[in-house]
Amino acid sequence: MEWGDIIYKSILVVCVFSVSLLVAMYSTYAERKIAAFLQDRLGPNRAGPFGILQPVADGVKMFMKEEIIPDVSNKALFIIGPSVAMFTACMTGVVIPWGTELVIGGKHYPLQVTDVNIGILYLFGVVSIGVYGIMIGGWASNNKYSLLGAIRASSQMISYELAMGLSIVALIMMTGTLSVREIAAQQVGWHWNVLYQPFGCLLFMICAFAETNRAPFDLPECETELVGGYHTEYSSMKLGFYLFAEYINMFISSAVIATLYFGGYNMPFIGRWVHDPNWMAILGTVFFFCKIFFFIFLFMWVRWTLPRFRYDQLMNLGWKILIPLALLHVAATGVVMWLTGQIH
Amino acid sequence: MGAGSLIMLFICGVAFAGGGIALSWVLAKSSPNTAKGEAYECGIPSTGTSWIQFNVGYYLFALIFLVFDVELVFMYPWAVVVKEVGMVALVEILIFMFILFMGLVYAWKKGALKWM
Amino acid sequence: MGVSELIFYILAATIIGNAVLAVTSRKIFRSAIYLLFSLIGIAGLYFYMNYEFIAAVQVVVYVGGIVVLIIFSIFLTHEAGNDMKKPSLLRAILAGLASLGAMALVLWTLQMECFMPSDAAAVEPSVNNIGRQMLSTTEHGYLLPFEVVSILLLAAMIGCIVIAIKTRQKA
Repeated sequence: MEWGDIIYKSILVVCVFSVSLLVAMYSTYAERKIAAFLQDRLGPNRAGPFGILQPVADGVKMFMKEEIIPDVSNKALFIIGPSVAMFTACMTGVVIPWGTELVIGGKHYPLQVTDVNIGILYLFGVVSIGVYGIMIGGWASNNKYSLLGAIRASSQMISYELAMGLSIVALIMMTGTLSVREIAAQQVGWHWNVLYQPFGCLLFMICAFAETNRAPFDLPECETELVGGYHTEYSSMKLGFYLFAEYINMFISSAVIATLYFGGYNMPFIGRWVHDPNWMAILGTVFFFCKIFFFIFLFMWVRWTLPRFRYDQLMNLGWKILIPLALLHVAATGVVMWLTGQIH
Repeated sequence: MGAGSLIMLFICGVAFAGGGIALSWVLAKSSPNTAKGEAYECGIPSTGTSWIQFNVGYYLFALIFLVFDVELVFMYPWAVVVKEVGMVALVEILIFMFILFMGLVYAWKKGALKWM
Repeated sequence: MGVSELIFYILAATIIGNAVLAVTSRKIFRSAIYLLFSLIGIAGLYFYMNYEFIAAVQVVVYVGGIVVLIIFSIFLTHEAGNDMKKPSLLRAILAGLASLGAMALVLWTLQMECFMPSDAAAVEPSVNNIGRQMLSTTEHGYLLPFEVVSILLLAAMIGCIVIAIKTRQKA
């Protein structure tokens, strides 16, 4: 590996990292604005024009607040909890192809940090580690609400992981690869996977909502029963990390949905007007981000529209509806592929 | 190449998580007292530890999850090659899935999936 | 020492250090967390050796499945927060001897086995090859084990449901 490559990769890693943080920061602002819009209010409008400095003000506040670690808690684990949550949230962006590739001076620079050829399994693995941030923090707090929230969260996450995995299996049957880059590249023009697998896409999106603990699946932090859920005892930056990790997860989930089912950086008809590969790559990235922002908006829209499930309803939906449906979906995909001659 | 970038990201992640906590530790003022150090319950002193015994239902779901998780892992390599291998692969996985589906039906009928 | 070797030693130290902490810690929840880090280290080791699929399986099954189960079973116990009793000296010595014996056995087996260098090209451990081998019906294929695994999983599931339902009815 040359120095040029190393420097390029480092820049890309830092870029992906800072973009995730920036988007997560402004998602908090967007969430409040959208909530306000849906409820016919104004939302934050004091810090800067239209309140766009609100996330900065929130960040500073988080850093300056007094930090309280309960005497009864398990101190080391109390600090490890939010760090793990934040860390796993940051690790997922690495396999997502943010665009095709730039060609500068005859050299190719792919807009993806690393193309692990088991990309989807990598995502799946990091998601399954994500449970621990909540579980460790909730247990270490030594608070009844926290522990209940934590165990609810982990139980919910493992339940929906299965249906999510099965919906991905149906997708892989069609694509024949686990590499996220290849899956994105296969969906040239209008060949978006959602058109071939609308039902799989729906299953995946429902599970993505449950995995990110967003409404209507936000039982782990349901205020009316559990105060703050797993982060009841947290304050200052550690609380900030938990909240921030949720928004990063939402951003990454939107990116994954856009990549796997909605064509990623592919843009139909663009080939007619733009021929320069560099411009194509840049426009593709812009288009990809438009898709991501749409899904982030969808996450928020759903949150402020639908009421929360009851816990038994949530478990029933996961185990008695989604998992059997996902299994049937895999079988049906196989049969349809056989009927259409894709499997001989 | 892949591993190098991953390590780079690993360092970034650890630096950000550690740095954030360290910075807030430096910036924030702290004046602990016994009341602040208590676990929050409802305002009056809490009774007993919170590390109590939990409903066995959670454990049951985790057990069933583990079985299906292993099944899922077997399905990934299958899904990648199903197009190449063809009909044989499809029949094989239908048998595989049918047997596990029976497991799910058994759990359902026995009431293991009923939340209480 | 190259960068590659350095990474190997860091991974090895993580695995062994956390494993030792997992068995010596008196707090049962902390033991589970040390075990978690140790298992993640093992996944890292597979990744380092380019066995990417095995690394992913390690994470999904062991880290995301078995440790969750272990933690849930800790939640089932009465005294998860208290320190565990110190084991008696005799037990500690016997356990130490047993683990040393097991280690000696592994080392001895490795020493006895003579590894023959082969001219045949190594099979790339890609998901594609794994899948093809798993579904192949030839004598070198793993079709029968693959189907038997499903029956094994079914048996495991029925077993755990029977045991757990009994506990639930008693509770």
